[in-house]
Amino acid sequence: MTEITKAANIRNFSIIAHIDHGKSTIADRILELTETISQREIREQVLDDMDLEREKGITIKSKPVRLLYKALNGKQYIFNLIDTPGHVDFSYEVSRSLAACEGALMVVDAAQGVQAQTISNVQMALEHKLSIIPVINKIDLSTADPEKVSKEIKKINGLSESPILMASARDGTGIREVLEAIVKYIPPPDGKLEKPLQALIFDSVYNPYQGSVVYIRIVNGVVKPGSKIQTMSNKNNYEVNEVGIFMPKRKKVEQLSVGEVGYLTAGFKDITLTKVGDTITNSEQPADRQLPGYKKVIPMVFCSFYPVENDDYPDLKYALEKLSLNDSAISYIPENSPALGFGFRCGFLGLLHMEIIQERLEREYQIQLIATTPSVLYRVYLKNKQIIEIDNPSSLPEAALIDYIEEPFIELTLITPSQFLGGIMELLQDRRGVFKNMEYLDKDIARLLYHLPLNEIMLDFYDRIKSISKGYASIDYHIMGYQESALIKVDVLVNQEVVDNLSFITHKDKAYERARKIVDNLKTAIPRQLFEVPIQASVNRKIIARSTVRALKKNVIAKCYGGDISRKRKLLEKQKAGKKRMKRIGKVEIPQEAFMSILKID
Amino acid sequence: MNHVLNIGLYLHIPFCFKKCIYCDFFSIATSDEQLKKRYISAIIKEMELHGKKNQEVELTSIYLGGGTPTALSGLQLQEILRACFLKFPIDEMAEITVEANPGTIDLGKCKLLFQAGANRLSLGVQSFDDEMLRKLGRIHTKEDSLAAYHSAREAGFKNINIDIMFGLPGQSKIGFKETLTEVIQLKPEHISLYALSLEPETPLGHLVAAGKIKLPSDDFTNKLFLEAITLLGERNYEHYEISNFALPGKRSIHNQLYWNCQPYLGLGAGATSFMSNKRYRNYQDPELYIELLNFGILPIECQEILSSSEKMSEKIILKLRMMEGLAKAEFRGLFGTPIEHFFGKPIQELKEQGLLAESKTHYYLTKRGISLANNVFLEFLD
Repeated sequence: MTEITKAANIRNFSIIAHIDHGKSTIADRILELTETISQREIREQVLDDMDLEREKGITIKSKPVRLLYKALNGKQYIFNLIDTPGHVDFSYEVSRSLAACEGALMVVDAAQGVQAQTISNVQMALEHKLSIIPVINKIDLSTADPEKVSKEIKKINGLSESPILMASARDGTGIREVLEAIVKYIPPPDGKLEKPLQALIFDSVYNPYQGSVVYIRIVNGVVKPGSKIQTMSNKNNYEVNEVGIFMPKRKKVEQLSVGEVGYLTAGFKDITLTKVGDTITNSEQPADRQLPGYKKVIPMVFCSFYPVENDDYPDLKYALEKLSLNDSAISYIPENSPALGFGFRCGFLGLLHMEIIQERLEREYQIQLIATTPSVLYRVYLKNKQIIEIDNPSSLPEAALIDYIEEPFIELTLITPSQFLGGIMELLQDRRGVFKNMEYLDKDIARLLYHLPLNEIMLDFYDRIKSISKGYASIDYHIMGYQESALIKVDVLVNQEVVDNLSFITHKDKAYERARKIVDNLKTAIPRQLFEVPIQASVNRKIIARSTVRALKKNVIAKCYGGDISRKRKLLEKQKAGKKRMKRIGKVEIPQEAFMSILKID
Repeated sequence: MNHVLNIGLYLHIPFCFKKCIYCDFFSIATSDEQLKKRYISAIIKEMELHGKKNQEVELTSIYLGGGTPTALSGLQLQEILRACFLKFPIDEMAEITVEANPGTIDLGKCKLLFQAGANRLSLGVQSFDDEMLRKLGRIHTKEDSLAAYHSAREAGFKNINIDIMFGLPGQSKIGFKETLTEVIQLKPEHISLYALSLEPETPLGHLVAAGKIKLPSDDFTNKLFLEAITLLGERNYEHYEISNFALPGKRSIHNQLYWNCQPYLGLGAGATSFMSNKRYRNYQDPELYIELLNFGILPIECQEILSSSEKMSEKIILKLRMMEGLAKAEFRGLFGTPIEHFFGKPIQELKEQGLLAESKTHYYLTKRGISLANNVFLEFLD
C-alpha cells in the first residue's frame, strides 16, 4: 500500500452491545463476508482470543481489525472495526475506542431487548457524536420479538429516528445490509493530511521484543518509520520503528495517514509511558493541542491477594508485574499480614476487573490465591485538616482523629420487567440507595435510576439482583464522585487479637448486623483449640458482638493394636500435614479452607 | 539353641454371624461352613510356612482375634490352637487369649478352649443395656454376657478381659455407670474401655452423616471417660494404657507387645506382622488368601519398611499410650541421642499446655493429655 489511503473511503466503527447480545458473532460474520480472513482461519469469535474472554464471552482488551469491503455501488471501502470491552469496569477504554470511530453498530438481542448497558453505551457513543446504527440480532430465535425491541430502541434518547436493521449473526441473515448501512450512514473521517500529526492512543499491549505496541487512530497528519514523535501528556520523545495495520494479525505498512487505524512501535519500554487516551504528535512540528479526553484511570476497588502457599509469593510478584505490562489500570503494593504472610494490596477498575485478574493469576500463572473482601477507596478528612485516602480498612486512623469520611457514590441504571420492581427497590433501599427516577421503556419494562455508595454493590449485589429478577434485570453504573457518609470501622478480634484482614468499614447502621454475622461465622469456621477462644467485633474498642469457640476436651484414638498401627500413624501424619498448612492468628490455628471461607463472608 | 527371638502370634478369624453397625474391621458375616473349613486348613498351612522359616523363635503370647473367633466351633478352635503348639515353640508361661462374643460361647466351648491351652478369654460385652446392644447390631444380651463370664470361670479361666464401650448413641451417664459398676462387681482381671470411634464407611457412619443418629458430644464422652478412670482406680484397676485397665499383674502380655514395638507374627486374612522394622499385611480376601496358601505361597499383600523417623514416631506414640510413658534411657539406647535433641521444642510446649509431664526417667501423658492424646502425638511426627 504505497498510496496514501483516501479518507473518503474509510469507515471507522465499533460494535456496542450488552453482554451476550452477539457482538462477537456479528463481528465474525462481518469478517467472513468481507473475506478478511480465509475460511481456515475462521473460528468462533475470532476477535476474542484470550481464554478467559472466550469463556466468559466478553471482550477485555480492545481489538481493531481492518476489512476491505466492495460495496454494491462498486466502490472499495476500508472498514476499521474496533472491538471494545463490553463491561462498565472498562468504560474508559470503551470511551477511548469510541473516540477513534465515527460510528457504531448497536447490537440488541431480539429476545432480551434493551438492557441497562445498551443504554449507557448509546449515551457514551452519542457523547462522542457517533452515528449509531441499531441492529436487532438473533431474529431467528423462537422467542424473538423484533417489533417490541424496535419500540424499546426508539424510546432511547437520540435513536428515535434511526433506521433499525434486522439480523441473525448465527445464520448470516441481514449481514450484507449491515455492511451497506455502514457505508451509507457512517461518515468518513474528516481530518487533514497536511496538519501536524495527531494520533489518539486507544489501547496498547506489551511485547517483550518491541516494548509497548500502541493502537492508534490518526486524526490528522501522517506517520511512518523514522518519524520523530512525542507523547503529549508527558512530552517524551521517540523515533518510530514500525507502523502497521490489523489484518487482524499485525501487518507492517509504510505509513499510516489521516483517518486510518493501526499500530505503532517506538521502543516504549513500559506500558505506563503510553497511556490510553494520550495523543501522539510530531516532535519537530507538534500539534497545538492534545485530542480531548485524556484522563488518568483510577482504581476504585481494592483487595489483597495472598498466595495460599507462602512459597508462591515470588511467583505472584512476577505474575502481577507481567499482567500490569498489558493493563496499566492494575495497581499493587506489597503487604504483610500476620495471618496470611506476604501478599499484595491491589487496585482495580471494578469488580469484574478484579475477578478477571484473580482468574488470570490462578489460571495462567497457576497461583492459588486467597483474596480478601474487596473495599473501596475512602477519603478521610482529619481534624488537623489533612485529607488521606484509605484503600484498606485496617489503615483507617483512630476515630478521635477523624473529622468525617467520604465514600464513592455511583449512579446506577437498572432495567427490569416491572413485576420485579418491588423486590429490587427493597434491595436498593437496604443498600442505602436513593431513588432518583423511574420510567417505562415499554408497558412492562421499567428503567430505574438510583444513587448509592459503591461499597454497597461490592458484596453479593449482582447475584441478589439476578435472583430477585430471575435473571431478567440488568444494571450499569458509573462513579459520580465522593459524598460524606456516617462510616465506622469494625475490627474483628480472635483471642483478643485484631485480625487485620477482617476489619471492615461500614455504615454505622449496618455495623451490628454485619459484625454479628461475622463472629457467628467465625465460630463455626474456627476449629476448637486447646483453650477457649473468644471472638469479638469492636468499634472504637467497644465490643459490639461476641461469640466463643469452646476448648477442645477430647481428641484421642480409642484403641490401637497391632493391625492398626500403620493406619493410625498415617491418619496422624495426614492431620499433621494439614496442621502445617494452617494459618495462625496469634496462638489460634485455623485451617486454610476455613480461613478462606471467613474472608468470603459477606 | 542359638539366640531365641521372643515373638507374639496373632491369628485372625475374619468371620462373624452378623456385622455390628460401627465395625470397620475386616470380617465377613457368613454361615458358609465349607469356607470356614478351607480357611482353617489355610491358616494352618501358613503356620507351617512360617514355622519352617522361623526356627529360632519362641512364642510368648498367642491371640485369636477377629471378627469373631467363636464363630468357629470349639473343635475348630482346638484344631487351630493345637496346630500352633505343633508348629511353634511356645514359652510355658505364654498368654493364650481367645476373643469371644458372649452370644457364641457356652460352657462346653469354654472347656474345649481351656483344654486346648487357652488361658485368657476376652469377652466383647460392650454394654449391659440390651436395647443399646440391639441398636448397635450386637447379637448378644446382658444375660448372655453374664452366662458366658460364669461359664469361662467354671471352665477354669483365671484371666478374663471384658470389653466395654462408651460414647454410644443415646448412652446416658447413669446407664454407662451401671454397666461399668456391674462389670467391676464381676471382678474380671482386665477391662478394656474404649470410646466408639465413628468410621465414615460403616452403616453407623452413614446414619450419622445422614443425621439419623446423633452421637454424644466429645465433651460428654470425655466426662464419661474421666469418671470411669476414677471409678476403676478406686477398685484397684490399674490404668496402664489409654484404654486398658488391669488388676495388678494382669496386664495383657500380647497387647503390650504392640505398644512396646516388639515383634509379632500375624496370620490369617488381613493380619499384620511386624518383624525387624518391616511391617507386612496379608490379603484380606479370604478366597485369595486360601488360594495362595494352597499354592504354598505366603499371602502377603504389602509391606512397609519403617524409616528411622517413622520408627521414632511410632516408638514415642505407642510408649506414650502407656501410662508409664516413654523411658528416656530406652529412647537414647535405641536412637543414640536423647529425645530432646529431636523434639525439645514440642516437649516444652506440650508441658506448658499441661498435656505432657516429665519425671527423672520418663515422659508421660497428664490426665488432660490422655483425653487429648492425638494433639500430643501430632507433635512427634515428622
